[in-house]
Amino acid sequence: MLLVPCPHCGPRNSADLTLVGESESRPDPSATTPVEWRAYLYEEHNPAGWTRETWYCRLGCGRFFVTERHRGQNRFRNPPLGAPDESARRR
Amino acid sequence: MSPQRLPARPGEVIDRDRALAFTWNGRAVSGLAGDTIASALAAGGCRVFSRSMKYHRPRGILTADYWDPNTLLQVGEEPNVRAGHRLLEAGMAVSAQNAWPSVRWDAKVLTNLGGRALSAGFYYKTFMRPRWLWPAYEKVLARFAPGGVIDAGSAPRRHDKRYAHPDVVVAGGGPAGLAAAVAAARAGAGVLLVEHEHALGGHLRWGTKHERSIAAALADAAQVAGVEILTDATVTGRWEDNWLAIVERGGAGGPERLIKARAKVLVVAAGLIERPYVFAGNDRPGVMLSQGARRLLNLWAVRPGSRAVVWSANTAGDAAAADLEAAGVAVEHVDARAGCTVAAAQGRRGGLEQVVLSDGTRLEADLLVTAAGWTAPTSLLNMAGVRPRYDPAAARFFPAEPDVPEAGTVLSTGGISGDGSLDELVGHGEATGRLAAARAATLAHRLQVATAWAAPVDGREPPEAPDERTPLGRDPHPELYRSSTDGIVDLSEDVSSRDLRHGAAEGFDSVELVKRWTTATMGSAQGKLETVNTVAVLADATDSTISEVGTTTWRPPFAPVTLGALAGRMFEPVRISSLHDLHVAAGMTPIQAGQWIRPEHYGDPAAEVRNVRTNVGIIDVSPLGKLDIQGPDAADLLSLLYVNKWRRLAAGAVRYGVMCAEDGVILDDGVTGRLGEDHYLMSTTSSGSGAMEVWIQNWLQTEHPDWRVRVTPVTDAYTSINVAGPRSRTLLERLVDDVDLGPEAFKYMQVRRGTVAGVAGCVMWRIGFTGELSYELHVPAGFGPHVWQALLAAGADLGVAPFGLEAQRIMRLEKGHFIVGQDTDALTKAPTAGLERLIKLDKPDFCGRPELQWALDGEPGAEDPEALPRLVAVQPTDPAYVPPEACQIVVAGSDGNERIIGRITSSRFSPTLERSICLAQVEAAHAAPEGTLTIVGTDGRRRSALIIAHHAHFDPEGERLRV
Amino acid sequence: MARRGTGGAEVQPGRRRRPRYPARYSAAALLLRGKRPWPPIWRSGDLRDSYDVVIVGGGVHGLATAYYLASNWGITNVAVLDKGYLGGGGSGRNTAIVRSNYLTPDGVAFYDRSVQLYERLAVDLNLNVMFSRRGHLTLAHSDGALRTMRWRAEVNKHQGVDSEVIGPAEIKRLVPALDVTGAPRYPILGALHHPPGGIIRHDAVVWGYARAAAALGVEMHQNTEVLDIATSGGSGSDGKGPGGRVTGVRTNRGDVSAPVVVNCTAGWASLIAAMAGLRLPISTHPLQAAVTEPVKMFLPAVVVSGSLHVYVSQTDRGELVFGAAVDPLATYDTGGSLAFAEELSGHVLQLMPGLGRMRLLRQWSGLCDMTPDYSPIIGPTPVDGFHCDVGWGTYGFKAAPVAGEQLAACIASGETPDLIEPFTLSRFAEGRLVGEKGAAAVGH
Repeated sequence: MLLVPCPHCGPRNSADLTLVGESESRPDPSATTPVEWRAYLYEEHNPAGWTRETWYCRLGCGRFFVTERHRGQNRFRNPPLGAPDESARRR
Repeated sequence: MSPQRLPARPGEVIDRDRALAFTWNGRAVSGLAGDTIASALAAGGCRVFSRSMKYHRPRGILTADYWDPNTLLQVGEEPNVRAGHRLLEAGMAVSAQNAWPSVRWDAKVLTNLGGRALSAGFYYKTFMRPRWLWPAYEKVLARFAPGGVIDAGSAPRRHDKRYAHPDVVVAGGGPAGLAAAVAAARAGAGVLLVEHEHALGGHLRWGTKHERSIAAALADAAQVAGVEILTDATVTGRWEDNWLAIVERGGAGGPERLIKARAKVLVVAAGLIERPYVFAGNDRPGVMLSQGARRLLNLWAVRPGSRAVVWSANTAGDAAAADLEAAGVAVEHVDARAGCTVAAAQGRRGGLEQVVLSDGTRLEADLLVTAAGWTAPTSLLNMAGVRPRYDPAAARFFPAEPDVPEAGTVLSTGGISGDGSLDELVGHGEATGRLAAARAATLAHRLQVATAWAAPVDGREPPEAPDERTPLGRDPHPELYRSSTDGIVDLSEDVSSRDLRHGAAEGFDSVELVKRWTTATMGSAQGKLETVNTVAVLADATDSTISEVGTTTWRPPFAPVTLGALAGRMFEPVRISSLHDLHVAAGMTPIQAGQWIRPEHYGDPAAEVRNVRTNVGIIDVSPLGKLDIQGPDAADLLSLLYVNKWRRLAAGAVRYGVMCAEDGVILDDGVTGRLGEDHYLMSTTSSGSGAMEVWIQNWLQTEHPDWRVRVTPVTDAYTSINVAGPRSRTLLERLVDDVDLGPEAFKYMQVRRGTVAGVAGCVMWRIGFTGELSYELHVPAGFGPHVWQALLAAGADLGVAPFGLEAQRIMRLEKGHFIVGQDTDALTKAPTAGLERLIKLDKPDFCGRPELQWALDGEPGAEDPEALPRLVAVQPTDPAYVPPEACQIVVAGSDGNERIIGRITSSRFSPTLERSICLAQVEAAHAAPEGTLTIVGTDGRRRSALIIAHHAHFDPEGERLRV
Repeated sequence: MARRGTGGAEVQPGRRRRPRYPARYSAAALLLRGKRPWPPIWRSGDLRDSYDVVIVGGGVHGLATAYYLASNWGITNVAVLDKGYLGGGGSGRNTAIVRSNYLTPDGVAFYDRSVQLYERLAVDLNLNVMFSRRGHLTLAHSDGALRTMRWRAEVNKHQGVDSEVIGPAEIKRLVPALDVTGAPRYPILGALHHPPGGIIRHDAVVWGYARAAAALGVEMHQNTEVLDIATSGGSGSDGKGPGGRVTGVRTNRGDVSAPVVVNCTAGWASLIAAMAGLRLPISTHPLQAAVTEPVKMFLPAVVVSGSLHVYVSQTDRGELVFGAAVDPLATYDTGGSLAFAEELSGHVLQLMPGLGRMRLLRQWSGLCDMTPDYSPIIGPTPVDGFHCDVGWGTYGFKAAPVAGEQLAACIASGETPDLIEPFTLSRFAEGRLVGEKGAAAVGH
């Protein structure tokens, strides 16, 4: 069971958290095009390396935060400390 | 005295004063306390324990331990018991598994005759034609399935689980592991020592007096140092950040207990597993590995044979020869280091009578002991990313340098790491233990630092401990894998070296391919005995080296674990409302709705409907999701979440809203009331309440962290009761005095706060899911039962009665209200449900806005919007016919074939209208009111139905709501 | 009549070409051959510098595509490249369930064709893939699930596929080990019974296709990793991406030119597509499976519970094979987890409480490329000559024959066949997703 570095709770079992997905910025909903919007909705970078992603500390602090994880090796780096200010997207 | 039991021996683990009676294939036999099942049977003279998987050849003791592939037995209701490991208990009913009619005379041995054709993979090459006969062949093949018998009706056993957070876990309680545990504990670490066998000491247990005394001293030291010791327990797996599975058998936690440990450092001291040698007849009863022979002799005082050939390539084999000789067995000692190998073991009726050496010598024997070398069980290390590397000079694999960063928290010591004198092994173990303790201390400090709310950090980070251990040496060892003859490589799967060679020739020339083709390494020992021999035979067959071929992946678990232990006790509770006991007392028929247990009805749902339509009913709607929303930006949040508008909702009003996901698909719906200037109470669907809370938090935290608004889930804080029916106002007026319930003072779609039956702080909103005048009361949960009973008491003369979920579902369908997830699906966008007028595209932003805009107005450049399916209300022509939900709706195509154009999403018989009523999703082209649809019943019959103009089958104008 | 395919190859549709094996398998041949080994089932040779079609991924999809290209269309100048060994990915890690009881008419038609091909496969390929048509039960534990089962049954029946919703008594008759008392936390209220469903020997399917394709002239290259895809004229700054056309691949064994490159990978689909400058709607998740020690046969059908995320069958060897839902954590790491084994066991014992004494012997993971609508991505892409057969989520194995057959037709004819039209990549940009989400969320 992976330990996820929640910036508020400290390392916690990954079962306590939810991976929301890759962090992406949301297009302006009043000016977007179908191609741009659906790329935002559906496309993934899905690398086997480092990627920025949003996590939700479901059974802990209840906060969303952005961190970087290596999806090939399941390692984390640069967990930001303190309140997250990054935009992370839901689907 | 049993025929093979020797007089008392110094290191024996049996209690000669405690005989244990048990049965073997139905026959009464006995053993001694301390015996394993296998040692007891062997002491009684048993030579054949099982029949092999494919060829049904007789098989006897090979290793006399957990990994013995030949002694898997049925014990009572338990199949596949490792008889070489399981301690004997009085009353056990033990039987052989893979034999019919008996292990001594097995009819299926006939497959031996066809053995020539039954080479690996034979079944891929035959039985193709005729095609219709294959199912019959298949049934015959299935009869040959190996293994014991499971009785699906047997009573479940209870299994606990345990969590542990040790600084250091040591896997293996041999000399090095013990020394590591003691040193780590002395250095201040909390240590958990896990030993697979029933006692500490590893191979010292069946060794010399001196070796046994060292083992005892180390075990004592571990006790004194405060090491937690688990015997008959196995570290079965290792995952990220040293998350360990430990299975404890027969301890305090029941027959098997799973311990989940988050260790800071794992020390792997699993020792070595002796490797069989491959030659003709190597699977005959009487052919034994040196450790098996020594264990039988020295632990259980069982004489493994009377006339032995000991073929030895190492000191362990030499020791076996010496032990046998000392016990009075005639021994012919053949030194493998001198170049002589075993070519064949022969005998009649599957027994062993003579051994043929490579130089042609024939030796009479009923016991052949081989000592051909070792396999390092590197499984746990591999799970940590450490690859095994082959050393031909030492003839075994060793852990290579770790290639993952966290491997510094996984160390190894003992035989798995190298060879040495007992002192050297203990010394290496001690150094490893100290290193483990130091690294654990560093990690503990970092963990404390990383935990923001932890107590002030103690001191400074301890310096990172470098690995300064003196590496263990490697004793030279001849490479001995296969003789000049072919034999069995995988004894549990009956795979021979010829099978492997032929597999390689047929193109299965990598270890993974040949493993899949032959099933080598896939049996009970999972490669612990046979992997390296498989690799060696393959290397030989493909003219490559063992290093080039490499090994297969060791997969968890290291030792098999019962499903019961893995499952433990289930912790997936159901939810009940505060009114649950009252529903039970009222005779409810319960139904599981999501996580909740709810009353489906109290006897007659149709009567409950009629009572609501004529008098007044009350229903427990507590599972409804409820969120308390407060703050100056609350209205902005609602505008973002819902497709409709919220800014101008007056205080004291409630409004229905629909939420969509970013793809425009309907996510949830419900009403939200404005309780005060900056204060709202939102309701969500029961099933969606948890997800909606997360959804809202996601928007707030990631997209609008600057908004001043707080969202608090209050689902469980309120008991929710809907009071519905034409007499509901009369009933409530008897219990509420601080709110004017008059039709002008408290209108439809309004909210009030007040006191109900003396309970202050209740929220009342006037809404009507059932289509009747009704009030939804949200009562502080502790007072729920009081208010419920007060309603029933006060309304007795009004005919008040509880109604259940089914009556509510009927009434909502009469009113044509859709249920998210039933009448909508994962692709249903808001316009399908007829919500066009609700969607306010003049809002610059709300969830799913672009998709909904394109759904309504068409995509840029497109002429018309895509025609989405429509949700319509449908009435079958036959009013008595209720089409089962999910029945398909079809239309005849131009080609004469019927095409599916939709389905019935909800259907019920309406007691109010006395006819069947439905909601359906159909293609837009077929959704016009007054149109006729063809429904295909589950019986295949086609029946017609009419689309009605409004979703509501009953009171489409809503007059009954507004009284 | 010869037509030009997108590969530029002369193609001859219509006439089936039969593989000419160096040695045909049969019981008689087996006895005659005795102790002598059989000829290799495929060839390994030097990688040439040019092919008509290069298929990336030597799993069951890639091999089936190669076989149908050769047998149905006469396109034999084909190389199948795999970075490891044939069948080492999802093909050898799945739980080998075959069924066609999908939810949408498109899905049902597609998988029904696959089942038909599977039923004939042993004869067609002259290798026994041991298809065990033993029936498939999808259990419902709630009225909502029961409704979905009925939905599937009704669509199936309409399409001529044998499926029926059955009640607890019939379930108990078919699989006596199941607890239908209603006492469990997740009571068994009913099931979708699909008699044509069953299990198959997955590795044998791989070997059968490989042997047949090799006999038709297709080359198999193991340990051959594609490092890059060569394209020209794309909209990206590097000439990659939409609007371009594929010219070949770069591998660890040298460059290969080819007018058609097919991405038949699972687990690495996004990475291969990125080499051509394309971003896919795919997130890669591990799917775990496990096997118990063998016991005598007691489970006659495949049993699936969507809400409990478990499916189980008993092999001819007596082992129970378990699978679950994909891991929630997107990762390429196949180390698996303990939580999987715990949850799986808990849920299996919910269904069959008497199995607590059975032992889990081995667990493993494979990688699944999950798409937003639980449906594959198959057919042409915005890069000319670059085809995809990816995004197979947890249901790729059962689709391999039909996917290979239809993709081969697509490559050879240049036209997208009706059966795969609903599953092209363009559906995402066009916002017309496939409706399998409701049913396939539970899968298998």
